[in-house]
Amino acid sequence: MEAMLEIVDVVTTYGKIEALKGVSLSANRGRITCLLGPNGAGKTTLMMTVAGVLKPRQGSIKLEGNELVGLSPARIVGNGVALVPENRLVFPQMSVRENLLAGAYQRKSSGEVAADIEQMYTRFPPLKERREQLAGTLSGGEQQMLAVARALMSRPRVLLMDEPSLGLAPIVVKEIFGIIAELNREGVTIFLVEQNAHLALQVAHHFYLMEQGRVTFSGTPGELAEDEVIKRAYLGTRRSAG
Amino acid sequence: MIPFIQTTLDGLMVGSSYGLLALGFALIFGVMRRLNLSYGPSIMVGAYLGTLLYIQFGAPTYVVAIVAVAGSVMAGVYVERLCFAPLGVGAGVASMVSSFAIWMQLEQASLLMLPRHSYPFPSLTSGELLSVGPLVVRPDYLIMLAAMLAITAALHLLLYRTRFGLGLRAIIENSVAASLSGIDVRSTMLKAFALASAIGGVAGFLVLSANQQVTAMLGMWATLKGLIAMMIGGLGSIPGAIVGGLVLGVIEVHSQTLFGPQVRDLAAYGVLFVLLVLRPGGIFGTAAVSESAAHRGGDRWTTT
Amino acid sequence: MDDHLTGILSNIGVISFVALSAYLLLLTGEISFGQQAFFAIGAYTAGIVTAMWQLPFWLGLGAGAAAGGAAALFVGLPTLRLHGLQFAIATLAFAEAVRILFELFRYQVVRDGEPVGPNGIEGFRNIRYIFEHDVSATQFMLIIYGLLGMTLFGFFLLERSRLGVAFRMIGQDGLLAAAQGVPVFRVKLMAACLAGAIAGLGGGLYAHLTTYVEPAIFDVMLGVHSLAYGLIGGLGTAFGPLLGVVIDIGLLESTRWFAGYRMIVFGGLVAVLLIVRPRGLLDERLVHRIRRLVSRRPPPAPTNAAVLGEEPS
Repeated sequence: MEAMLEIVDVVTTYGKIEALKGVSLSANRGRITCLLGPNGAGKTTLMMTVAGVLKPRQGSIKLEGNELVGLSPARIVGNGVALVPENRLVFPQMSVRENLLAGAYQRKSSGEVAADIEQMYTRFPPLKERREQLAGTLSGGEQQMLAVARALMSRPRVLLMDEPSLGLAPIVVKEIFGIIAELNREGVTIFLVEQNAHLALQVAHHFYLMEQGRVTFSGTPGELAEDEVIKRAYLGTRRSAG
Repeated sequence: MIPFIQTTLDGLMVGSSYGLLALGFALIFGVMRRLNLSYGPSIMVGAYLGTLLYIQFGAPTYVVAIVAVAGSVMAGVYVERLCFAPLGVGAGVASMVSSFAIWMQLEQASLLMLPRHSYPFPSLTSGELLSVGPLVVRPDYLIMLAAMLAITAALHLLLYRTRFGLGLRAIIENSVAASLSGIDVRSTMLKAFALASAIGGVAGFLVLSANQQVTAMLGMWATLKGLIAMMIGGLGSIPGAIVGGLVLGVIEVHSQTLFGPQVRDLAAYGVLFVLLVLRPGGIFGTAAVSESAAHRGGDRWTTT
Repeated sequence: MDDHLTGILSNIGVISFVALSAYLLLLTGEISFGQQAFFAIGAYTAGIVTAMWQLPFWLGLGAGAAAGGAAALFVGLPTLRLHGLQFAIATLAFAEAVRILFELFRYQVVRDGEPVGPNGIEGFRNIRYIFEHDVSATQFMLIIYGLLGMTLFGFFLLERSRLGVAFRMIGQDGLLAAAQGVPVFRVKLMAACLAGAIAGLGGGLYAHLTTYVEPAIFDVMLGVHSLAYGLIGGLGTAFGPLLGVVIDIGLLESTRWFAGYRMIVFGGLVAVLLIVRPRGLLDERLVHRIRRLVSRRPPPAPTNAAVLGEEPS
């Protein structure tokens, strides 16, 4: 099993606060790797660091051996890593179609881009229905689909997803996770941050637990009892109070 | 009735230049979320370079125009590299103050080139007034209006029909999401800056050639007019900039006709003030500009 | 003390008032391009009181400060609820409107056969109270610095008071402050009034220092300069804006080092400085460290807002 994305000893700070205190983990090719943990653990910080929006103070992030640290977010997209950010971050005043075009910004062949857009419409029928509608008027679930589709437009080899289930109704979440599983079957390597431990464990091949800027557990679903995982994902490991 | 229409028409013409100035401002503000106080002075540098060629070497008008625009772009790029690019999103006020410092720098550099208060500037037309029915039109002003319409149309095409325009609009909406989509934010910002400076340079050239002179107040004038017009139309709104400019022009010319030049300026500031208090978003903005939109330009992302 | 030096020092002292005025508003997170308006109002009011109504100097100063504060209250009420940039432009519009109004303002009385008083664009001459009462240049300079010292002491007290903490809280994050129960609007209004009064006081001193004021002095340049002083000198302490004034007027204006190129050099230095230190020379971090060294007490834990307000490194 080879590592597609290898994160070694990454430290990211906000001023004086160390949000990531030396995180090491890897996402294997063709697999779904999941990162769980309570709020404030640093999961989004890690995603933003991998995506290049935040610069780590030290550590390395390699994609198939190529160093990503220090590259601009646009270059990282160019290298094949796309992030579906927390809270979707669609462009509200632009249409669904324009959002998709934005995701394809770096691609050269407009013919291929057009074909891919059609493919997105097939995969996500609500987007086709609303293709000229402003993204800000879409429902939460539709925006999530749009955010995923936009990221896919760059034909990434690794898809990063930050809390895709956030704020969505259970039925919609099931749909999204269905899409995640489908994408993975087609060969996309997926690295997923989730709060919904139960669902995440159902799709993940491997998962990590993160607390307070550090990885505290690494293993496969089943290695740890699910309720133990859920407990740690929401509450963290036992710590003395106060 | 006719005098009223005449005055309004004059106001619209003058307003075209304000609109162009505001357009440049709005473009920069939309992309950077920060005020560029060096906008007027950049235009001044270009105009002064053009003037220098004109009075020292008798350069033909089209050369002066090209130099004015090119000079403005160069100065604009200089400002962007020094004041905006190195300072991240967090240091909002610092960029603005930095751009003010460079305003002083550019203004003094211009005055070193040409120290007197005013200089002649080549004109585009012979100055003969055109008659359109009962109305009188200055051809230079007509050119300004035409230029404004042409540039606005071109900008619209750029923004909505090109990949660069798509990237620019994406950055205006959310620069973090834009970079995550693979848009090179820094390079696009620089190009937007250059474009805005070019538009400003054109506006400056047209106004100066209509007045046939350039004065040392150009930097301050361009910055203030552009800023006021932009605010009237709506902060960072591109169609708002044009409308704001036209409205400002009409208000000014009417006030001047009725009460004289001082009241003209007073009226402009008064309208701006009242507008800001009653409808801070401007004509095209929302009635209340929300905290997140104004403060962070929709760039906020939370941490988990 | 030689006259030239006295003149420069007096100038520094007086301009410091309007710099402090902009700084006070900056603490609450508001950018004002318009403090020069209160400076002007203070100058004209003080001049009218002493030169035209022939009342004592201190009364003139007091009236100047009061007028500045009142005007700030009047303007602050409708504008402080505006957001950052809109507020800044509103202050700019207000200040320019005030300047134009002074260009139109005429009020003269006859004293000793001569008309005295504001005369539109030509300004207000013969504010000669100081000279008529035999106050030397040096003495007046001491008066200026005495008052400046008192103002700085006021800032010192403010920094340690709940109000001062409220100011900085609002400056960091208005929503957070409101959530903590701070009456944001009222506090901002208070800051605006104080700032207006400080500028008004400075204006009164200025009018008597130069004996002559005209509307052209109180332009946008002065306003943006006042703002810049705080941002260059540092926002961590009231000495920051003073430092900014000293650097500009003291170092560059008076030394004829770069005559003719002064703004080119100064402008470039400021731009470079702001890249390296976006919150000025004496920024909050540095001041915090100095205070720790001086008091040798453990510092209070920085609030999340204060820390998260900084860029991730």
